[in-house]
Amino acid sequence: MSQLYRTTAPEGIIQRPLDSMTLIFQKSSGITHMIADPVPAILEVMAEDSLTARDVAQRLAVSYDLEDSENAADVVLARLAELCTLGLVEQV
Amino acid sequence: MAGLHHLYLTVGPARFRVASTWRQPLDQLAALYKDYPASQGGYADFTVRLEPEKPWRRYIRPSVHISGDFWLPDAAPLPLSQCLLAAEMGMNLQMALGWRRHLLLHASSVEKDGKALLMTGLSGSGKSTLSAMLAEKGWRFMGDEFALLNPDTGMVHSFPRLISLKNEAIAAMQAILPDSRFGPLLTGTPKGDIRHIIPPLDAVKRMADTAKPALLLFPRFGYDPVLRDMGKSEIFVRLTQASTNYVALGETGFQALTKFVDRVPTKAMDYQSGEQAEELIDSLWSQL
Repeated sequence: MSQLYRTTAPEGIIQRPLDSMTLIFQKSSGITHMIADPVPAILEVMAEDSLTARDVAQRLAVSYDLEDSENAADVVLARLAELCTLGLVEQV
Repeated sequence: MAGLHHLYLTVGPARFRVASTWRQPLDQLAALYKDYPASQGGYADFTVRLEPEKPWRRYIRPSVHISGDFWLPDAAPLPLSQCLLAAEMGMNLQMALGWRRHLLLHASSVEKDGKALLMTGLSGSGKSTLSAMLAEKGWRFMGDEFALLNPDTGMVHSFPRLISLKNEAIAAMQAILPDSRFGPLLTGTPKGDIRHIIPPLDAVKRMADTAKPALLLFPRFGYDPVLRDMGKSEIFVRLTQASTNYVALGETGFQALTKFVDRVPTKAMDYQSGEQAEELIDSLWSQL
């Protein structure tokens, strides 16, 4: 849980919320990602900071009413791992 | 390209050079495209080549292999009797794989009062037939295959090729159009029977006129008539599937398509007859 993460080149992505989904266009790869909750919120609270999954969960708890706050960090960690695979987030 | 016959065609913003071993496809194209503007200075965006699969297949059971600037390695050759289809497929292929000036949507489009109605869907959805039918009822035909979306202006550009009718749609249009508007009946093609229609003269004369996209429909033939709302996510995904150059255009394509999805009212439309579709379209159009 002490691993730090940050978003990769925030200026290198374009976000467009649609209905229940958000589109992310990644300029470096030319790939369009379609993401659902809570991923847009995770990227938003991370901003340009380097954070652990627990930090991200705490920031989310400030803005959102989390259903299962105890396991929130685990959920965030799983999403961060997926975002790393996509190249939208990197380990610091 | 020694030994090949040539024909130059301008359709909307695209100029084609069709080069063929045989005169037959070029003569058919020349007759069907006779009202289209002539090429200027022999310049072309794309070359389509229609040649025998093997040298002896020029004469013995002649088969037409489609190639050109862009080609698919596994495209099956067509018999010479279907050479018109080969030429049309060749031109489509160049657009689908090579065109970069617009975001290409696999959709038919018609225009009224400067506003465009786009219809997209899988083969068999009826988008070609509906566009052909509306073109005879006060709409300007803009294309039955590709709608060209200008990423800078958001306007739709016309690409009014011949209208390609398949199977049952042929008889439906034969009932309302004179024989002089039809190309030859091509039987036993990979898509069944195909017959091309020459678009109305107005569509050809005004093919440089753009239109503002005002309504997008996903028609589906053979179901009880109904209009359904669609989520923007679904619309976006289906349009990326309907675009042959979305990925190639990169950020430009993303910006153009997201703007389009944001701004253009969209419905799924089920229908069982042309009359039903026309009624549904008129009701939507009057509310724009």
